[in-house]
Amino acid sequence: MLKALYTIFAVGVVSLYSVAALLGWEIGGGSRRQLPPDARQNGYRSFHFWHYGLHGGK
Amino acid sequence: MSVLVANCPSCGAPIEFKSGQSIVVICQYCHSAVARTDRELKDLGKVAELVETGSPLDVGLRGTFKDVPFELTGRAQLGHEMGGQWDEWYATFSNGWLGWLAEAQGRFYITFQYPIPEGTYVPTFEQLQLGQEVYGLPWPTKLMVAETGRATALGAKGEIPYLLTPGETYDYADLSGANGAFGTIDYNQTPPLIFLGQQVTLADLGITTTRTPEKEERRVDAAQLGCPNCGGPLELRAPDKTERVTCPNCNSLLDVNQGKLQFLKALEKPWFQPVIPLGTTGEVPEGKMTVIGAMARSVTIEGTQYFWSEYLLYQPQIGFRWLVNSDDHWNYVRAIPPGDVYEETKTAVYDNKSFRIFQDAQARVEIVLGEFYWKVETGEQVRGVDYVKPPLMLSKEVSTVYVSDPNAKKKKRTTGEINWSLGTYMPVQEIEKRFSVTGLPRPSNVAPNQPYKHWWIYKYWLAFIVLLGLAGVLAFVFAGSTSQAYSQTVNFAPLPNEDGTQVFFSEPFELKGRRNIRVVGQSPVQNTWVYLEGDLINDETGVVQSFPIDISYYQGVEDGESWSEGGQSDSAYTSSLPAGKYVLRLEGQWEKWSQPAVVSVQVEQNVTRGFNFLIALIVLSIGPVLMIIYHIGFERRRWSESMFGGGDDSDDDDDD
Repeated sequence: MLKALYTIFAVGVVSLYSVAALLGWEIGGGSRRQLPPDARQNGYRSFHFWHYGLHGGK
Repeated sequence: MSVLVANCPSCGAPIEFKSGQSIVVICQYCHSAVARTDRELKDLGKVAELVETGSPLDVGLRGTFKDVPFELTGRAQLGHEMGGQWDEWYATFSNGWLGWLAEAQGRFYITFQYPIPEGTYVPTFEQLQLGQEVYGLPWPTKLMVAETGRATALGAKGEIPYLLTPGETYDYADLSGANGAFGTIDYNQTPPLIFLGQQVTLADLGITTTRTPEKEERRVDAAQLGCPNCGGPLELRAPDKTERVTCPNCNSLLDVNQGKLQFLKALEKPWFQPVIPLGTTGEVPEGKMTVIGAMARSVTIEGTQYFWSEYLLYQPQIGFRWLVNSDDHWNYVRAIPPGDVYEETKTAVYDNKSFRIFQDAQARVEIVLGEFYWKVETGEQVRGVDYVKPPLMLSKEVSTVYVSDPNAKKKKRTTGEINWSLGTYMPVQEIEKRFSVTGLPRPSNVAPNQPYKHWWIYKYWLAFIVLLGLAGVLAFVFAGSTSQAYSQTVNFAPLPNEDGTQVFFSEPFELKGRRNIRVVGQSPVQNTWVYLEGDLINDETGVVQSFPIDISYYQGVEDGESWSEGGQSDSAYTSSLPAGKYVLRLEGQWEKWSQPAVVSVQVEQNVTRGFNFLIALIVLSIGPVLMIIYHIGFERRRWSESMFGGGDDSDDDDDD
C-alpha cells in the first residue's frame, strides 16, 4: 500500500518536473495578469494606468 | 580375520561373522553378544532388546558413499546418561572401509576412525570444555566440542566391529565443524579413538528404500495410552521419539520408555495455556507439522523475570522444529550444527552472515505441556545467548549438568552440550494463517529480530532520484542553449522626489514560447540600491508578466575586516510566455534619487536553472526522510530491550 502510494507520488513528481522542464515553467516568479481591453485600446503606457489601473495603485 | 560360521556358546544356535572386521556378533536367538578371539568364541552376556526408534535404517540395508558400496552389518543402541538413546550403525564397505553411521533426532552422521597424528595431544575427557576447539585432528575444518557425555551399551544387532560389552559405559565427546563436519572422541580406551566424518542425508548414502514392510508395520504415527497416575486417556503423537509427556488430565509429568509411561511427579496446574492448541497441524516452510508440546520459559534480568513460550513441532520426515512466541512476536526455529557457527565476543557468523549479540542470560523451564524428545524438567536451566540479524536470530543454548558418579574418583562431574538454532521471524498474521488460529495477540514492541519493513523506500528513493536526474539531463540536452531576446542600457533621469519613479518602455522584441525567461538587471551601485518594478507586456494578447529586480550593494571595513553585502546585479525568473512580441516596462526607484541611475537589462530565454530540480528532489525526499526518522526510532526500540546497548543496526538486509 505504502509502496504504491510512494510510487504514484514519485512518478507524479518526476513527471511534473519533466513537463515543467519541457514547457519552461518556473516555480515562483512574479504575477501574471491580463491587460483590460480598454487599456490596450487607449494605451497602457500612462502613469495613471500602471499606478491606479493594473496594479491597483501604489 | 575371515568369515566364520559357528554356534552360539550360549544357546547353540548358528551364528555367522560375515565381515572379516567384526569382533562381536549378536545371536539372533538368545541376544547374547558373542565375541571371537584368536582361539575361541566368548559369550559377553546378553544385550537388551532394541528400542524401536522409528529409524529408517536396518541391518542388511545397502548404500553407497563416495561411490563405494556398503552394507549395514550391525547396529548398537547406546543410552545417554541424561536419558534417551541413539543408534550407531556399522557400515562395511566393499573396499574394506569400516564406517560408523550415527543416527540421532532424525539426523545422520557418517564417520571413520582416524589414527591420532603424531605429536597431537588429545585432551582428556576431564579437560574438555564445551565450545573449545580440538587442535591437530586430521580434518580440513576446525572442530569444536559440541557435547560431552557418557554412553551405555544398551542393545545390539548383527555384527559389531569392537568388543561391545552389554551395560558397559564410556565417556565420549561429539565434535562439530563447519559444513556439517562431525566427529567423536571415544574415551573407551587410552589413548582415545578418533572418529571423523560429516553429517549426511539418506540420499547422500544412496538409500532410497528406507523401510522394510515389517518395520513400517511396527511404526505408528500416534499411540493412545492411559495415564498411569489418573488413568485418563493420553495420546503420544511422536511415540518413537518422545521421552517425556505431561498428562492433559492430571498434569502429571510422565517418563516415556518404549511407549510405556511411568509417573514421575505431579506438576502444578499450569498458568500457561498454549495459544496454539497441542495437536494443531500447520503448514510451516518445510511442510506440514504438528504441535506436540509447549513450554513456558523465563529469564531473570536485573531482578525482573521475562517469560516466553515455545511450541515443539514434529513431523517424522522433517524432524523437530520450534515456534517461539515472545512478547507476541513469533519465530520459526530449527537446529543447526554447532560447528557451522563461528562465535566471537559480541558477534557470531553463520552462513556468511554476521549476527550481533542481543542477550545472554540463564533461561529456565517453567511449565511443560505435551511431548518432548528429551527428558525435560521444570526448573531445567541453560545459558542462552541470542544473536540477531533481522529477520534471523541465532541462539546458543549451553546446558551443563552435574552428574553423580559414585564409582569415579571425582564423585561429581559435568556433562553437557551446545545447541545452536536459527530462528526466522514470522509475523503473527502468518502464524494465524499457517495454523488456522484466530485472535492471536498483536505485539506492541519491536522484537530482537523483527525486520524493518520499509527498506524498500531507500531503493525506491534512489531509483526515483536517478530517474529525476535523467529527466533533468534530457531536459538540458533537448532545451538547447540560452538565447538573448533583448539587451539595453537604460539611463534614468533623476527622480523628482524621494518617492518618485522613472519609467522605461522598450521597443517590442520577440519572445519564443515554451522557454523560461530570465531578466537580468545590472547597475554600478556602491553602498546604495536600485529597485525596478518590471513587466513584460504582450501588445497583441494583453498578457502582462510582472517581476521585481532589486539591486543593492554595500561594502566597507569594520574592525580591520572588509565586508560586502548584496551585488551589482539581480535577476528574476519567470515561466515561459506565449510566443509573440513583448514590450519591457521598467519602473525604477533608487536611494540617491536626486542623481541619475544607469541600469543594463538583458532578457534571456532557455536558461538552465537547478531550482525546479532542487524542489523536485526535496519533495521526493519528504517520505524517505520521515521513514529514516521512523527507522531510527524502530532500531532504538529494538535495542532498548537488549542488554548489549543501543545504536542503529543498519546492516540488516531484510526486506518485506
